[in-house]
Amino acid sequence: MSPRPQAVTVIDLVRTFQPRKQPAVQALDGVRLDVDEGEVHGLLGPNGAGKTTLVKILTTVLLPTSGRAEILGHDVVHDAKAVRPLIGIVFGGERGLYTRLTARQNLEYWASLYRLPGAQIKARAAALLERVGLAEKADVKVETFSRGMKQRLHLARGLVAGAKVLFLDEPTTGMDPIASREFRTLISEIRAEGATILLATHDMVEAEVLCDRVTLIDHGRILATESPRSLGRLVSRFQRVDVEGADRELLDRVAALPGVESIVESDDGHRINVDGDEHVPVVLKVIVEAGVVDVRTSRPSLEEVYVGLIGDRGLEV
Amino acid sequence: MRGFRSGFRLQLSFFRNYPDSLIPLLTAPLFTVVFTMVLRHGGRGDLSGYAMIAPFYMSLWWFAIFNGGWVIQTERWEGTIEYLVAAPVGFVSVIVGRISTMLLAGAVAFGEVWVFGRYVLRTNVTIHHPYVFTASLVLTLIAMTTTSLFMANLFVLSRTAVTFSNSASYPVYLLGGILVPIALLPGWLQPATNIVFLSWSSKLLRGSLSAGPIQGAAFDLSMIALLAVVALGLATAFMSRILRHARSSGELALR
Repeated sequence: MSPRPQAVTVIDLVRTFQPRKQPAVQALDGVRLDVDEGEVHGLLGPNGAGKTTLVKILTTVLLPTSGRAEILGHDVVHDAKAVRPLIGIVFGGERGLYTRLTARQNLEYWASLYRLPGAQIKARAAALLERVGLAEKADVKVETFSRGMKQRLHLARGLVAGAKVLFLDEPTTGMDPIASREFRTLISEIRAEGATILLATHDMVEAEVLCDRVTLIDHGRILATESPRSLGRLVSRFQRVDVEGADRELLDRVAALPGVESIVESDDGHRINVDGDEHVPVVLKVIVEAGVVDVRTSRPSLEEVYVGLIGDRGLEV
Repeated sequence: MRGFRSGFRLQLSFFRNYPDSLIPLLTAPLFTVVFTMVLRHGGRGDLSGYAMIAPFYMSLWWFAIFNGGWVIQTERWEGTIEYLVAAPVGFVSVIVGRISTMLLAGAVAFGEVWVFGRYVLRTNVTIHHPYVFTASLVLTLIAMTTTSLFMANLFVLSRTAVTFSNSASYPVYLLGGILVPIALLPGWLQPATNIVFLSWSSKLLRGSLSAGPIQGAAFDLSMIALLAVVALGLATAFMSRILRHARSSGELALR
């Protein structure tokens, strides 16, 4: 079977910033990354990890210090003109829109910058405003929009040219939970249409729900690239059985079963760490036969992995 | 060309949505009244044409500074510059398109002042040299556009751009011969006026309102064209370098 074509290829990418009268800052330190065509790839890391720097280099906004990056085979530095029609960009935050223009005016302007034929521009803008739920506000000035509405307009702008590779940098910042959920649905639809999506975020739920694979990045270095489910193995090789209402006698019996590595107290009861999936059915059987029904298996969540690999650094960036 | 058209249309949208950007169209008639009344009071009604040309230049300069000159910097403040740089159309063509609305704004300002002077103030001005007048007017609008493009780059580079844009007007009015003919300025100051295209322009526009022959009109027109081309060359060279530097230093979107 031939390998899937690469939408994004990053090889040994380095980016150093040199602020005036301050020491140099290494934002990216030898980053290597491959994103397959049609994949939704999460870029996960704390503030200052290098996510936005990487996205800006891939979108031709910023030049790398060294290394190479390609979008669908086109070099982002030497062939930037070929890259630009292929990509859509959604940077997070409230800026990036002409606030005294209406949503429709903004969108039609950006569509014209992507060389859409004149007749298509109006239809495309109207369809996108409908799609992101802003049709009723299409002719209202953006300065009156809430942060979430601006984010939706940002997303519409990112989609205006039918990009083959879509870069989303913290796209749900400022959205309420319902809008975030709708946004995820929208991303799933875009993915189904064949677009490749690189999603920079520190929203674990978003990454876990949307992404085929996730890359953890910190201090400009890639820590791991796996599917959200597989990443759990990096911080725990155990299958976990969480149980509530088990008495001491039952726990002792379970502890003696093959494959059971440890039993620890948890918030709701006890967590049984089992080494090897093949031992889990036996453990479950013993527990259920003892009359305990509140039992479930789990793997480490992405959030646990994140904290496990990157560490809990509080407000430090 | 697509970028130029998009930029041009965007700036027209701004004119519609930012009424304050058209303030010179409000102030120009007021200046026309002031200058005309001063001249009439001094018994020089024959110079009333000058009283209409000066407000036109003042409006044009205002558009050049505050609409054209701040174009790139406002893209940075709005946070739109990164999207613009990453768009398929050329950044420079969009900026040139936006600034080229100066041609339109300037023409409207001129027409407004002329109609106001003629029909409201009842000023009787005859254009004795219509070809020179038209050629110098068109070249003036073009030169102001390229000068504005040049300033747009300077404002990005300069940390004192706000101070400059607020205070540069009066020296330019003087060196451009807008308020006072160059010949009346101190001798030591006059050579400096040669590098200000407005000085050649104002001399020609005033001259075309006089009945006598205009000396050296072709040379004066050539000087306006030359200074327009120099400003354009410097502007495009600067813009490419600024963009490259900003992408390299990561300062593209800095406010």
